[in-house]
Amino acid sequence: MGLTNTSSDLLPGTLELLILKSLRPGARHGYAIVEHLRVASDDVLRIGESALYPALQRLLLNGWVKAEWGTSENNRRARYYTLTAAGRRQLTAEQAEFDRMVSVIQRVLAST
Amino acid sequence: MSALLRRVMFFFRRSRHDADLREEIEAHRAHRQGALEREGLASDAAARASRRAMGNVTLAVEDVRDVWLSRAVDQLWQDIRIAVRGLRKNPGFALVAIATLALGIGANTALFSIFNGLILRPLPVRDPGRLALLLDGSWSYPIWAEIRARENDLFDGAIAWSDETFDLSRGGQSAFVNGAHVSGRFFEVLGVSAVRGRILTSADDAADAPDGPVAVISHRFWREHFGGADNAIGRQITLQRRAFTVVGVMPPGFFGVDVGRMTDVMLPFAAEPLIRGQESQLASVGSSWPDIIVRRKPEQSLEQANAALRGVQPLIRAATVSGVSPRRAARYLTEPLTLADAATGRSYLRSEFAKPLIAMIVAVGLLLLLACTNIASLLVARVVTRRRELTVRMALGGSRARLARLLFAESVIVALAGAALGLVFARWSGALLVHQLSTWESDVSLELALDWRVLGFSVAVACASAVVAAVAPTLGLRSVAAGEALKDAGRGLAGDRRFAVRGTLVIVQVAVSLILIIAAGLFLRSFASLNQLPLGFVPEPLLIAELNLQASDAPIEQRATSAERLRAAAAAVPGVRSASLSRVSLLTGGGWGVNRVAIDDAPMPVEDLSANRLWRNATSPGWFDTMGTPLIRGRDFTNADRGGAPLVTIINGAFARRYQLGEQPIGRTVRIGLSNGDRRYEIVGMVADSAYTSPRDGMMAIMYVPLAQVEPLGETVILTINAARGRRAAVEREVAAALTRTEPAIGFVFRTFDQFIAATVTQERLVAMLSSFFGGLALLLAGMGLYGIVAQATRARQAEIGLRLALGAQPRGIVRLVFHRASVLVAVGLALGLAGSLWAARFLSPLLFHVEARDPATFAAAAGVLVTAALLASWLPARRAARLDPATVLREG
Repeated sequence: MGLTNTSSDLLPGTLELLILKSLRPGARHGYAIVEHLRVASDDVLRIGESALYPALQRLLLNGWVKAEWGTSENNRRARYYTLTAAGRRQLTAEQAEFDRMVSVIQRVLAST
Repeated sequence: MSALLRRVMFFFRRSRHDADLREEIEAHRAHRQGALEREGLASDAAARASRRAMGNVTLAVEDVRDVWLSRAVDQLWQDIRIAVRGLRKNPGFALVAIATLALGIGANTALFSIFNGLILRPLPVRDPGRLALLLDGSWSYPIWAEIRARENDLFDGAIAWSDETFDLSRGGQSAFVNGAHVSGRFFEVLGVSAVRGRILTSADDAADAPDGPVAVISHRFWREHFGGADNAIGRQITLQRRAFTVVGVMPPGFFGVDVGRMTDVMLPFAAEPLIRGQESQLASVGSSWPDIIVRRKPEQSLEQANAALRGVQPLIRAATVSGVSPRRAARYLTEPLTLADAATGRSYLRSEFAKPLIAMIVAVGLLLLLACTNIASLLVARVVTRRRELTVRMALGGSRARLARLLFAESVIVALAGAALGLVFARWSGALLVHQLSTWESDVSLELALDWRVLGFSVAVACASAVVAAVAPTLGLRSVAAGEALKDAGRGLAGDRRFAVRGTLVIVQVAVSLILIIAAGLFLRSFASLNQLPLGFVPEPLLIAELNLQASDAPIEQRATSAERLRAAAAAVPGVRSASLSRVSLLTGGGWGVNRVAIDDAPMPVEDLSANRLWRNATSPGWFDTMGTPLIRGRDFTNADRGGAPLVTIINGAFARRYQLGEQPIGRTVRIGLSNGDRRYEIVGMVADSAYTSPRDGMMAIMYVPLAQVEPLGETVILTINAARGRRAAVEREVAAALTRTEPAIGFVFRTFDQFIAATVTQERLVAMLSSFFGGLALLLAGMGLYGIVAQATRARQAEIGLRLALGAQPRGIVRLVFHRASVLVAVGLALGLAGSLWAARFLSPLLFHVEARDPATFAAAAGVLVTAALLASWLPARRAARLDPATVLREG
């Protein structure tokens, strides 16, 4: 099936940012998040369970998402994650921070 | 904040989180499987593919765990859970280990709390470090008055007190309470204030006190006598037939300055003439009864205080010497007065019990060591049994340090549980021991509260036990190498290094038990021989009534007639064979004596200060018959021997031997030298020897005089009643009624010789009790240790034994095989123990009575007991080994 990325391939904390972004439209369960990231990244990012769930738990610990059991589209029991108000604020802040970091790195790379 | 709170909540819902996570991951996999099926894969192929793509789920779960709980906390909690589970699977071991530690730690804590309460703890007063006791013994009241006059010049205050017992009853049978006379500023100098009412002042300690006769009571007395009522202040209590007003209640922890005694009622010295009337000792220089403590000034050292006091000593001497007899005046108050630190108060109990207490603490320390080695050996044995489990854990990635922590957690849990139980046991047993110290004379009360010293000691002991118990198995862990145990899978054949460690532990246990059992045997024999000493009279049918003649306020001249009336009334009670009077009772530890004696016309010795004073007693006619002491020569006293008639005396055999009177002492003269002149007595009879002060002092020289010829009669007289056996309680009631009818105001209290004799052997009884307990416990521990080791060794060699049985060995042979190992251990332990006992014997000799410290019979008996116990301990597992089914054993491997 191909490689599954571990979070070590991404900058630390980036995975949480991506998960928060993917939860912005609404509640999603774990598999849906993975699928969304895969589709949105044109099949580049394939997040495995061993990376996803620790990241989701960190988000829960900090109170940026909350989780509830529900029924998925094909009548399976699944746990749905939703952004909290604090999570929304964190998303905006982290996205701004990420943009800043990227532009800094680009500036360094562009210099001689 | 909220993150921490969420962590805590996670901790409590851990298992549900784990279940949720697993379900969630499984749902994830199902989703993936569904997606694959929609892409066209067959369902089982899709299932396999999705499972393969999952990655390491266990690792994911662990990583999730790590997000919520730091690894260390999680591991620690795991260790505790595994340890508890391991202990629960083996409840026998856990129970034995915890009970053993509880008894060991508890006994140590109990004895230490007694040691703390009696010797270490300072008085519960203000700044006890500045208090100093005036050595050595009591002083006369005039001397105290001189010191009090100078108390603010020389020191920062001084106090005096005198221990007394006061009778609370208004007539009939006495109800005694512990009390004291105290100086006016007693409480002020000590720095104690009342929780109700007020403390005494100098004004109360004067003849014209503004509030009249007043008393301060202890908290305990307030609770018991007044029910803790708020209106106790101002109420009256009767002490020695006089009324006193309660003006203050002391705080709960205050007991006076005598450690071991709860002083319930404190009266000022000014109350003494009120109680003793004509016989008041307040002005007497010859009578030493108050004790004195001073408080040093803040910057004053002990040497400076001593110097200050000695500086005024000549002045004190000059002011008080006029009351001293000329003969004694030369040496009166010439010894330098000496002060000594008294932060821990004064205590007779301390001087009597300090040494045996330390001996007992050492013994208990040894016992705890024995218990710890026991547990250590059992833990080591468990490591061997769990070898397979431990190597599997190591193969799965557990580090040696982690495993060591696991084993340590077990020992710590056992130690903590044992310590907690031990504290409970300590409380109970400490109270029991202190109760044993009370005698007919003194009611011992010792504060055994768990203060920081006792708690610290108990925690230290528990930690030390945990370390000792835990170190051994963690050391044994070194030999558990991964993979090795899995390979040979329990077919371990005989003999390995580990056996040497366990064997040494067993040997140590056996040796220590033998020493303790021998000590117990010696103390028991010592106690037994003390209880069988000859007395010279027959105590069983005797009942003693101590009559207080002063209580009735009758003039002193009438006391003799009152006493005779009371005697006659008692003798008339049905069931009483005879009743007689005497001045003192035997076996109370002291008596009435004289130091200067001469026979016939020999010169009177100047001053016989030797310990061999001549004891005296004054008896009514028929006393020897009542006591059961046979008359050997001459006659008993008669009614003709009264005041005014010639002075006569009856002596005993020891007297005749001591003064070499030969076979026929009748008719010779005894002269005794008293401070107011010599007296001449004619010997009219001789009786058999008897003990006087206590049974262990043996038969002493005694001289008896007629009670009627003793003028004046003292405050108390002893009425001895000889009643038919088995009717003691009824006789006591009827005699009490008869006495009260005859003289309603009289005070009396009943005693028996059992009480007196018990008081003379308190120390030995305690030591015998404790050492038997220790010896028994040590034996039990050694037996359990031996059982454990033999059982483990047998189990380890199960395959070999099965093989032997399969090849035709007799069960008897198997038993002998197992015994052989055990008996070597026991024999070595026995030898070591015997050597240790022979060496330790010299420390035990001063504590023994009529028993050799190296008594062969006791040694042999102790060895026999130990060997029997060891045989029993080894026989049980041996029997089980011999009954093994070879087929099952060999199959299991």
